[in-house]
Amino acid sequence: MTGTHGASHSSGHKLHHYPPGDLAIWVFILAELFAFFVLFNAYAFTRLKHLELFNEMQLTLDANAGMINTLLLITGSWCVARAIAAIKANHCRHSAHWLLVAIGTGVGFLIVKYFEYGAKFSLGINLDTNLFYTFYIALTMFHAMHVVLGMTILAFVWKKAMAGGYSAHDHHGMETGASYWHMVDLVWIILFPLIYVMR
Amino acid sequence: MSAHFLNVIWVALMVATVLTWFIGKSGQMDTGAVVAILVIAALKGWMIIYDFMALRRVRLLWRGAVLGWLLATLALILLAYWLGLK
Repeated sequence: MTGTHGASHSSGHKLHHYPPGDLAIWVFILAELFAFFVLFNAYAFTRLKHLELFNEMQLTLDANAGMINTLLLITGSWCVARAIAAIKANHCRHSAHWLLVAIGTGVGFLIVKYFEYGAKFSLGINLDTNLFYTFYIALTMFHAMHVVLGMTILAFVWKKAMAGGYSAHDHHGMETGASYWHMVDLVWIILFPLIYVMR
Repeated sequence: MSAHFLNVIWVALMVATVLTWFIGKSGQMDTGAVVAILVIAALKGWMIIYDFMALRRVRLLWRGAVLGWLLATLALILLAYWLGLK
């Protein structure tokens, strides 16, 4: 399987029939996006009935940690995009290095989350504390599980890249992993303002 | 996608993130602030979908599915917050 995804010409621009990577991952991505769509709206519309509680509790969150994690995920996504650009130029080792930095941003994300959760749990806060914290813990932990899965996928892709397993003409697997990682970033782009900023 | 272009997108996303955080820190969260935050989120999502996910030159069916998710999610969140501000 190659890195090209069937193309046709339209208005002078090359239009690909399919998104980068395996089609199966895109079905999975769309299913994941739908799950987050439901959860985000459940939060937003539940908040309507508990405005004071949600506004008060949100001020107890560490927005700085939320911002740092957003910067980390964006940087991770950029690294993966650079890895794809590198492999398209046939720079396999270079591509592997970008992937390793991306995995590092995932580690950084989880470290920040560890301290963020630690601060809350040490105060006795848990899923049952109130409705806001039920959403906060459930949504952010559900997302963190996706970060872990994304890192695992990237680790396999990195290992193969280190072994010279990809090339300019054969990087379909790398594009598959990259697409999933970008989805994890995309979801956080909405989660950050929704949970940490807007009130 | 050229490396230089990807770098520009990365910087734009980082700046937009700090801007969102700053709006949140600056105090009053009125309709204008909520709209600004959601517009910034839409622009960030658009850049990720088009330039990092590389859907810019993919058939509208696939591009539209992800962009549609982004816009529908943000529109419903906007509706919920607008109802809350009334």
